Amino acid sequence: MIPDSVYGAILLSVIDFFLSFVVISGIGFVLSLFPYLNRLGEIDEKKLREGGH
Amino acid sequence: MFDKILLFFNALLQQTGAANFAFGNLVMIAIGGTMIYLAIAKHYEPLLLIGIGFSCIVANVPGPPDVPGGPPVSALLYVVKEGGLFHYAYEGVAKLIIPPLIFLGVGAMTDFGPMIANPKLVILGAGAHLGIFVALILAKLVGFTINEAGAIGIIGGADGPMAIFVTVKLAPHLLGPISVAAYSYMALMPMIQPPVMKMLTTEAERKMGMPQLRKVSKLEKIVFPAVIAIIVNLFFPPVAPLITMLMLGNLLKEVGVTERLAKTAAGALMNIIIIILTVAIGSTMAADKFLTWDTLLIVGLGLLAFLFGTASGVVTAKIMNLFLKNKINPLIGSAGIASVPIAARVSHIVANQANPHNHLIFHAMGPNLAGVFGTAISGGIMLALLGVQ
Repeated sequence: MIPDSVYGAILLSVIDFFLSFVVISGIGFVLSLFPYLNRLGEIDEKKLREGGH
Repeated sequence: MFDKILLFFNALLQQTGAANFAFGNLVMIAIGGTMIYLAIAKHYEPLLLIGIGFSCIVANVPGPPDVPGGPPVSALLYVVKEGGLFHYAYEGVAKLIIPPLIFLGVGAMTDFGPMIANPKLVILGAGAHLGIFVALILAKLVGFTINEAGAIGIIGGADGPMAIFVTVKLAPHLLGPISVAAYSYMALMPMIQPPVMKMLTTEAERKMGMPQLRKVSKLEKIVFPAVIAIIVNLFFPPVAPLITMLMLGNLLKEVGVTERLAKTAAGALMNIIIIILTVAIGSTMAADKFLTWDTLLIVGLGLLAFLFGTASGVVTAKIMNLFLKNKINPLIGSAGIASVPIAARVSHIVANQANPHNHLIFHAMGPNLAGVFGTAISGGIMLALLGVQ
């Protein structure tokens, strides 16, 4: 897909660097929605621990 | 009689490695010794450097030839070659069993709260990866193939398991020098990063404080690993094994009902894996294989990757400050290079030296953790573009 040449290395780098920014920004966007999860309620950590084992 | 005694001693000498010592062995023993010194005296990642340094030293103590007239074989190679204990240790690395297990342990000991608390900073996890691409292009320029160049470039992600993972997929014959370069530079980050960070920031910028992060709820922390695992498995199948195990480890930690499993993954299992990994890496450092032109190039390119990654992280943070209402200390940008939590600690220490009231460790952990995903994403895209599954 990518030619084995200096041009290929530059092409690979530019695409990869750009897409990394796009994807990580997407993850950042998803994380920015996380506070809304708290509207669903709160988890009692003490009860959570007691429930196991 | 005297002749026979001399003959006897000569035969005895040939059974030892003493007659086969080469200058390269001495150089590598000095390197191994330096690693152990740095681990003990400077506390530079002792968990990694003690094992790597020790096995590097032993790998360079030559033994007698394996076959008459053949090259001398290190005693360590008897446990590294097929049938020996560390042969299987190395196979664990080469067959990609160990890297996902390391990620399981890392996930089980990591609090992703700082990353969830300040999502804006995750961009630094991509910004600090310019080093990958600088090293990739330079590696191609000096004559490596594109696959080899990609594997060399990923050193700049400062993520040992990911470097091993990508290298095994792209250029397995370079696994030794690349893993040594990646782990050595990760351990030496407290020496490599600060000069670059100071060069690119003003005293006033280094002194900048940051407000306390919001508290992240348990529900958010439990949902996080599942969401990230879905995103990565959906879009980046080539690196899914690593991130999936990272997120499984984190889920074990956060749910609260699998404390035993989380403790094992982050404790005993992780310690066993570290011993196996460090000895497996150090055992590849025999002078005849390690002191080659290609290895020196890889080590040099790896250093450049770390330097450029650190620099691009700081510069990305400074660019972000042009648009942010609440400015960030640019020193946390260098933590985006990954290498959890070493890079975050370095950011904190440099900021704390400028202003003793500055405690940026939690702020730096956000980009630091994002850097793990940044390296995985870069590696995943690279594997996909190079057509490697």
